[in-house]
Amino acid sequence: MRLLITLLLTLTVAAPALAGPRVVATTTSMAMLARTVGGDAVSVTTLAPPDRDTHYLQAKPSMIRDLRGADLVVAVGAELEVGWLPAALRQAANPAIRPGQPGYFEAAAQVALTGTYERADRSAGDVHPAGDPHVNLDPVRMATVAEALAQRLGELDGAEAEAFRKRAADFREAVEERLTGWQEQVAGSPGLVAFHKDIRYLAERLDVPIRGYLEPKPGIAPTASHLRELVDKLKGGKAGVILRRPFHPSDPVRKVAEATGWRTAVLPLDPELGADAAAYFDLIDRYAAAIGGER
Amino acid sequence: MSLFFRLVAVGALVVCSGAPAHGAPASSAEVTAGNRFNPDISVILEGNAYRDDEGGEADERIADAAGINEIGGGHGHGGGHAGEAIGFNLKPAEFVFSASVDPYFDAYAQFVVTESGDLNLEETYLTTRELPAGLRVKAGQFLSGIGYHNEKHRHQWAFIEQNLPYQHLLGDHGLMGTGVQLTWTPLTPVYTRFGVEALQGDQAVVGRFDGEDRIQDLEDIPDGALDRFADPKGGPRLFNAFAKLAPDLGYSHELQMGLFGVFAGEQQEVHIEPDHVLRGDYGVVGTDWVYAYDAPHQYGKGDLKISAEYLYAVKDLEVAEHAAQPKVGDDRTFREDGFYVQGRYGFAANWRAALRYDAVGAGINEKTVGATGTSESWDASHRVSAVLTWTPTHYSRLQAQWSGSDIATESGRERVSQYFLRFIASMGQHGAHDF
Repeated sequence: MRLLITLLLTLTVAAPALAGPRVVATTTSMAMLARTVGGDAVSVTTLAPPDRDTHYLQAKPSMIRDLRGADLVVAVGAELEVGWLPAALRQAANPAIRPGQPGYFEAAAQVALTGTYERADRSAGDVHPAGDPHVNLDPVRMATVAEALAQRLGELDGAEAEAFRKRAADFREAVEERLTGWQEQVAGSPGLVAFHKDIRYLAERLDVPIRGYLEPKPGIAPTASHLRELVDKLKGGKAGVILRRPFHPSDPVRKVAEATGWRTAVLPLDPELGADAAAYFDLIDRYAAAIGGER
Repeated sequence: MSLFFRLVAVGALVVCSGAPAHGAPASSAEVTAGNRFNPDISVILEGNAYRDDEGGEADERIADAAGINEIGGGHGHGGGHAGEAIGFNLKPAEFVFSASVDPYFDAYAQFVVTESGDLNLEETYLTTRELPAGLRVKAGQFLSGIGYHNEKHRHQWAFIEQNLPYQHLLGDHGLMGTGVQLTWTPLTPVYTRFGVEALQGDQAVVGRFDGEDRIQDLEDIPDGALDRFADPKGGPRLFNAFAKLAPDLGYSHELQMGLFGVFAGEQQEVHIEPDHVLRGDYGVVGTDWVYAYDAPHQYGKGDLKISAEYLYAVKDLEVAEHAAQPKVGDDRTFREDGFYVQGRYGFAANWRAALRYDAVGAGINEKTVGATGTSESWDASHRVSAVLTWTPTHYSRLQAQWSGSDIATESGRERVSQYFLRFIASMGQHGAHDF
C-alpha cells in the first residue's frame, strides 16, 4: 500500500500540473528563448546539454519521453538535428509536434541563412545544404526568432499572446542595447579561427574576419597537413584568437597556438542548462572579450 | 538478362527520385530541394574480406551447433544461411526509400540487391502519423520490435555475424515478418513502450513449417497419410509482445530494459531416419538490457555502450505421424537458452573497440520424450568476438574483426577462428541514429 502511494505521489509530482504549453527545446539556446519569451506561462525541457555536439546525438528513450508530452518543439533546424530529432519525433507518437504542425518550430526557418547554395556533396564533409544552421550565436537573428516564437506560443496559448509579444520585444531591445558595445569591443581584431564552421553569423554580426577552421572540412577531424597550412596562413600577422568548444580536442588547438602565437579560448556554442537571457548575453560577452582580447 | 533489367529498374528509381527539380545541374542542387516530393533515399554498401581456419566452412560449423533447431543443414532445412567465402564478399546492397504518404501515413521501403543479382524486398511498411494517445500502428513487412538487437539492420550491427542466441533460437536475420504491430507510448514520467504484433509467420526457425517439399522425402510413410501436413492453416501464426522501460538518468547515462515474448502456434517439423512429423508450438521469452554513456567529447570519443539479451526457447511438439505407428501422439519437448553480452568503447576520436561473448545452450539444451520421460541433452556452444572500428566520418566505417568459437557438434567439440575486414558506406539521406 505504501509502495502504491509512493508510486502515485511520484507520478503526480513528476508530471507537472502546468496549464501552459509544455515546450521541449533541442538546445539550451532554444530553451533560453522559450524561457525568455514564455516566462512563467510555459514549462521548458532541454534535450541536449551544451557540452554535447548536437550534430551527433542518438534518439534516446528519455528524449522520446519528453517529446511524447510536448505541446511545442523548438528546434534549431536547417537539418542540424537531422540525425536524431526526426527519429525521436516518429517514436514519440505525438501528432501535435510533427513538422508542419503548429507544435513544431524551427529557429533557422525564421531568419535568413547563408551558405544555402553550397554544393551538396559529402566529399566536402558534413555540410548542411539547407544553409548554416548555427544561428544561435547571432543575437540579432535570435531576436527575430524570439518574435516568431512569441507569435507561435500565442497561437498555442491565446490568453498570454500579448505577454509573449512584449517579452520578445524586450529581448530585441536588450540585444540592441548591447550590440554596439560588443562591436566596439572586437573592433580592430585581426580575426578568429574556429574549430568547426559554426561561428559565421556571430563573426559577420561583429564584423570579425574568420581566418580559418581547425577542421579541414566540416565534421572531419583536424589533419596534420591541414594544421600546417593553417599555421603558415596565420604566421606573421597580428595575433587573433582560436576558439574551440569544450567537447573539441585541445591538442590541435594548442599546436596551432604555439606555432603562431595566437591566443586560445574555450567557449561553448550554447549557454548553460537552465540559462535565461542574462546568461545568454553573458556568453556573447565572453565571445566578445575573447575576440577583442585584453585592452 | 533479368538481372540486367532489375538493376536498370533500381537504377532508374534512384535516378528519378534523386533528380534535382527544374533540371538544375546536380552539382549545385540542394539535397532537400531535389527531394521535395520524392522520398528520402539512402544506399548502403557493405563488403568484406574473410578468412577462417576451416577452409571456408566455419559458418556451417557454427550453424550446426548442437541444439533444438537444426538450422545448419544436417537435416537439410535450407534456412537461407549465406556463409562468407574465403576472400572477398560483397554483401547485399541496401536501397532505402522513406517519406510521408499523406497526412495519415508514413511509408518505408527497403530492398536489397545481392551479388548474384537477386532483388529482395526487405522491410516495407506503413506507419500511422495521427493516432492519439501515443498509439502507432505499423503494417507491412518489418523487423519485430522484440529485444534490442532485432530491429537493427545488418549495417548497424557492431559485429558482422548474427549473435548465437538470435541465430539459433529466432533465425539468422532475427524475426522479420508480414503483419501488423501496435505500439503504445504512454504519457509517463519515465519512458515506457509496449507493443504487440501479429505476423503471418513464414519463418525458418520460429513457427517453422516444413510442408510439402520436405514431406516428399519421407519414403517410409504412405503418401496419403501426409496430405494433411502439406500446407499451413493460414495466418497469422506468429504473435509477439514486448515492453520497454527507461528510467531518467540525466543527459549522460541511458538505461533501457525490455521484456519480450514470441509465440508461434503452428510449428511443423519433418524428420527422417526414422521418418516422422512433429507438430506443436514454439515459444520464446527474453529480456534485453542496454546501457549507454554519452561522453562530452566529439567523434564518439569516450562513448560506451553495453547491451545484453537472454532468450529462452521452448518447443512443445507432438508426434503427428511416425513410420513406427505406436509413437503417434507422443510428446517431444525441446528447451534451449542463449545470451549475448557486448560492449563497445570509443577509445579515441573516430575509433572504437568492441567485445562480445555469446553462447547457446549454456543454461539448458535438451529434448524430453513424453512417453518414456527420457531426455537427451546437448552441450553449450560459445564464441568470443572482438572488433576494431574506424569511422572516418559518419557515413563510412572500416572494421577488423576476429571471432573464436567453441562449438558443440554431434561429433564432439570444434574450435574455429574467423577473421573479417569489413567496410560499410552509406550514400544519401542517411537514416537517423536510433538508440
